[in-house]
Amino acid sequence: MRLLQKKRLFILLIGFIILVALIGYSLQDRDEETTAEQFIKDTVGWVQNLIHTPVDYVTGIFKNIDDITDTYEENKILRNKIAEFKSLQYEVQELKEDNAELRNTLDKTESIHEYNPIQATVISRSTERWIEQVTINKGTQDGVEENMAVITAKGMVGKVETPSKFTSSVKLLTGFDKFNRISAKISRDKGDDVFGMIEGYDKESDHLLFRIIEESDKDLKEGELVLSSGMGGVFPAGLKIGEVKEVKPDQYGLTRTAFVEPLVDMYDINNVIVAERPQPDDNESEENGEDGS
Amino acid sequence: MRRLLIPLILFLLLIMEGVALDILPTPLLKGDLDFVSHWVFIFLILVAIFYDRENTYFSVFYGFLFGLLTDVVYTGILGVYMFSYALGVYVVHGLTKTLHANFFVTILLGTAGLIVVEVFVNFVFSITGIADFVWKDYLIERLTPTIIANILFLLVLYPFFVKRLVKWKEEQLSGSTKF
Repeated sequence: MRLLQKKRLFILLIGFIILVALIGYSLQDRDEETTAEQFIKDTVGWVQNLIHTPVDYVTGIFKNIDDITDTYEENKILRNKIAEFKSLQYEVQELKEDNAELRNTLDKTESIHEYNPIQATVISRSTERWIEQVTINKGTQDGVEENMAVITAKGMVGKVETPSKFTSSVKLLTGFDKFNRISAKISRDKGDDVFGMIEGYDKESDHLLFRIIEESDKDLKEGELVLSSGMGGVFPAGLKIGEVKEVKPDQYGLTRTAFVEPLVDMYDINNVIVAERPQPDDNESEENGEDGS
Repeated sequence: MRRLLIPLILFLLLIMEGVALDILPTPLLKGDLDFVSHWVFIFLILVAIFYDRENTYFSVFYGFLFGLLTDVVYTGILGVYMFSYALGVYVVHGLTKTLHANFFVTILLGTAGLIVVEVFVNFVFSITGIADFVWKDYLIERLTPTIIANILFLLVLYPFFVKRLVKWKEEQLSGSTKF
């Protein structure tokens, strides 16, 4: 019996050491996951894709039935909107042509607003709720790379954290911390944009924290749109992030922080777009890659 | 060949967990109360109670294996689920010796195992700084809903698998095979 006790204690201690070693290993800054991890993720992702597609189809049918019931009301509103859009569309076209022409005269064809879209579908969500992470069905094979911005039609949802061959994990905005900053701005007329950084997510108030670096003359108003500025070098500019809800001075009164509500509901994401920013010069992007780690 | 059935079921549960969470209606996930699904662990509890003999430790071994897979796929922090699942199943396995396996004992042991797993996981997460919480809030907002949600899942699994697991036990673990 005593021998048995000793054996148990021994196993427990060894287990404890392995546990600490493993956690230490996975918490350090790893450039890439091991091949074994990638293989497991891809296998699981493949099967998840297989299951997700039919299930999504069925839930889609129910959603469609739901939608049909309020189609009539929506139709009325939309018709009104179309009339407005027609004139707007004309204006946009003019501006686009203008822009292209001016760019041509300047010999500058690249813009930080541009990105190559990679369409993807969310196939699963992390079961551990502390970790705000979803898996999408596109990986390095499709051109997805680390730190690329992930958006939906409504706005930004997060960034690619660890791509494997055929799937990749996406860190949601709600899981951002001080190691995952986004340089952002509030766009205004006449060039008095307000620049700042999204410095993480406040779980208590459920808002992103937007620290304002450069003060503008006017105060921020509620409901102003926060966009990515593209200054970080990794995310393209002009991705919608959220709306300002409240502005507070920080504890020393030197800078102010705006509470920003993300535009996208983080629990209702299905189809996403991975925004691949064209990198003309790889060296440059490494130097100012503050959006990244 | 039949021996592979249990790992296969566990693997399917592991995969379904993430897909289910993606498909679940939004209001369920958004409220103040959070729950974590431990489907793999629930099935492991059934394996520990109804499949394993006193001297076989298949459930603990599967706990290690599928805990590790959960770590790789869903959290990226290796070792946490691996050890908590193994520990939780080991505790349940140990307690089955003293209690006669029936429906209520299963629920009781399931609850005990879930508490061990949840507390261990969150203890490690709080030490490593991944999660930041007050233990009192944690008890109300996470632990309780998690246990209720998972026990519900246990009630769903119970009628489907208990007889089958006992049958597999008779077939596969007769006498001499030891693990």
